[in-house]
Amino acid sequence: METLGFLIDGFGVALAPENIMFAVIGAFVGTLIGALPGLGPANGVAILIPLAFSLALPADTAMILLTSVYAGAMYGGRISSILLNIPGDEPAMMTCLDGYPMAQKGKAAEALAISALASFGGGLLGTIGLILLAPVLAKFALSFGPAEYFALFMMAFATLGGITGKNPIKTLVAAILGLMISTVGMDMSTGIQRYTFGILKLFEGIDFILAIVGLFAITELLLFVEHHLDGLREQIKVGKLKLKFKEIVALIPTTLRGGTLGFIAGVLPGAGASLGSFIAYTLEKQVVGKKGDFGNGDPRGIAAPEAGNNGASSGALVPMLTLGVPGSGTTAVLLAMLISLNVTPGPLMFTQNADIVWGVIAALLIGNFVLLVMNIPMIGIFVRLLSIPTHYLLPIVTMIAFVGIYSISHSTFDLKFMVVFGIAGYIFRKLEVPIVPIILGLLLGPEVEKNLSHALVISDGSWAVLWGSPLAIGLWTMSISGLMLPYLIGPLLRKRFQKAKPEAVEPDND
Amino acid sequence: MTKIGDRLLGLSLLVLALAYGWGSQQWPAPFGTHETVGPDTFPLLLAVALGITSLYLMVKPDPDNAWPNSRSALELLFAIGVLFAYAALIEVLGFIFTSLVAISLLSWRMGAPIKTTLIIATICSVGVFFIFNDLLSLPLPSGIFEVQ
Repeated sequence: METLGFLIDGFGVALAPENIMFAVIGAFVGTLIGALPGLGPANGVAILIPLAFSLALPADTAMILLTSVYAGAMYGGRISSILLNIPGDEPAMMTCLDGYPMAQKGKAAEALAISALASFGGGLLGTIGLILLAPVLAKFALSFGPAEYFALFMMAFATLGGITGKNPIKTLVAAILGLMISTVGMDMSTGIQRYTFGILKLFEGIDFILAIVGLFAITELLLFVEHHLDGLREQIKVGKLKLKFKEIVALIPTTLRGGTLGFIAGVLPGAGASLGSFIAYTLEKQVVGKKGDFGNGDPRGIAAPEAGNNGASSGALVPMLTLGVPGSGTTAVLLAMLISLNVTPGPLMFTQNADIVWGVIAALLIGNFVLLVMNIPMIGIFVRLLSIPTHYLLPIVTMIAFVGIYSISHSTFDLKFMVVFGIAGYIFRKLEVPIVPIILGLLLGPEVEKNLSHALVISDGSWAVLWGSPLAIGLWTMSISGLMLPYLIGPLLRKRFQKAKPEAVEPDND
Repeated sequence: MTKIGDRLLGLSLLVLALAYGWGSQQWPAPFGTHETVGPDTFPLLLAVALGITSLYLMVKPDPDNAWPNSRSALELLFAIGVLFAYAALIEVLGFIFTSLVAISLLSWRMGAPIKTTLIIATICSVGVFFIFNDLLSLPLPSGIFEVQ
C-alpha cells in the first residue's frame, strides 16, 4: 500500500495549478504533433526540451509537460490515419487499415470517437500497469552492481533496433558513435581533456540537447527538401457523431486485450509502441476470426491497435523510469530531459525524486482524461489543423528549434553545430543507420563508462567480472539474442508488416 | 543496386576508429602509475568495437538507397546554406529579419506559393519574437533593426 501513498502524493504534485496548466498544454501540443504528418512524437518532444529548459521550469513541471506531449502524440497519430490514410506517426500505422475504410463509408466521426475511447482505455490500462510494475522493478534494480548495469546498458543498445530492425550492425555502429561523442570533454575521474582539440567550447562536452534537436528537426527538414512528398491530400469530411452506447460496450474486450498486449510490448526491450499496435491488431484478428470484417472498416480493427499503442507508450516508461534505460526514441528524448534537469534516472529516483516520478505518473492518469475530452468534443480543431501543409510546418519547426537552442546558450556556434548534426543525421538516415541509438549512446555514455570503470576497479582489472553473476549472464544472453533475432525472425515479421501497412513509413522513431 | 554507400561508410568509420584509438593513447598517464582503469580504457574499447563493425560493413554492405539526383542535391545544398546563414546572421541582422527570410526561402523552395509564405513567415517570426521577448522574457537578438 506504500504505492498508494506515493500515488496520492503524486496527485498532490500533478494537481498544482501550474502543473495542470502545463499538462493541458502538453496534451494539446502532443495531439497536434501526433496528428501532423511529418512531425513524429520523438521529434516533437525533442523540440520542446530546449524550451522547457530555457523557461527554467521546475523538474516536475518540465517532466509533466513532456510526458503529456508524449501521451498526446499517441492519441494524435490516429487522426491523420483515419482521415488521410497517412499515419501521423509510426505507431498509428495499423489504425489506417480499418480506420480509413470506415471513414470512407461516411463514418469518420465514429471512427475518431472509437479510436479516442480505445486510446483512453489502453492508456489507462498501461498507466495502471506502470503504477503496479515500476516500484517492483525499481526495488529489484537496487540489487544491480556496476557489472550488471554495464550488461544492462549493452542490452539496451543491442535490443534498440527492435526485432523488426534491418541491420543490427548499423544499430551497433550508431550506438558506438553516440558513445564516442559522449567521451568528448573532460574525463570525470582524472580531469584529462579528451578529444577537445583545445577548443574551449568542447571542454564541457557536447551538449546532447543540441545534438538531439539537430538530429531530429534539421534532419527531418533536409529529408523533406529532398522528397517533397507533399501533394494535395484528400481529406475526408467528418460528419455528425452517431455512436450507440451498445457499440462502445461491445468494444471493451477488444480494448482490454489490446491495451494489455501493448503494455507488455512496451515494457519489453526492443519492442515499443509500433510493435505494440501491430501485435494488438494481429491478435485481435485471430481472436475474432471469420466473424470480423478486418480491413474494411471493422471498429475492432481501430480499437485494438489504438489501445495497443497507448498501452505500449505507458509500458515504455517502465524501463526508462526504473532502470534509466529507455527502449524507444521518444523515451530516450524524455531521458535527455531528466538528465539535463540533473535528475539521475534509475531505481534511486523512486526514493530520491519520488515527487517527480509519482507526479509524472499521476499526470499521466489525469492526462488521459484530459485527452479524452480533447479528442471527442474538440476533435474539430485538430481536424482543421491537419490541413497545414508540411512545407510551412517544417520551416516553422526549424525556426522553433533555432529559438530553443539559442535561448539556452545564446551562442551562434551552438546553432551551427546543431545544423552540422542535422546534416550528419541526414547522411545516416540515407545510409539506414538509425538515429535513436546515437542519441542513447550520447545520453548513457557517462553512465556506461562509470559503471565499467567501477566494475573493473573492484575486480582489479579482470574483465571477467562483467559476466560474473547469473544476472549479468542473463542480461548478456538477452543482448546477444537481441542482436541475433532480427536475422532469424526479422525478415518474416517485416514481410507481414509490409503486407499490412498502407504506406511506407520509416520505422525509426516511436 | 550499388553498395558503395556502405563501403564508404565502413571505410570512414575505420579511419575514425583508428584516429580515435590513437588519440586515446596520447594522453599522459595519470598519477599513481599502474592504474587498472584509465581515461583511455573506455575509448580504446569503443575504438576496437567500431573497427570490427566498420570492417563488417565493408565486407557485407547493404544495397544503397537512391541518392538525391542533381536537382535535389542542389536544393539540399541551398537549404543547408540557408540554415548556416540563418545561424551566422541571427545576431547581426536580428531574429525577426533572419527568421522571416529563412522561413520564406525554405517554404518557397519546398513548393509553397510566395505570397502566402511571406504572410505566414512574417506572422510567425514577429509573433515568436514578442512571445519570447515580452511574455517569457527570453531575449532574442533584435540586431541592427532595433525597434526602440
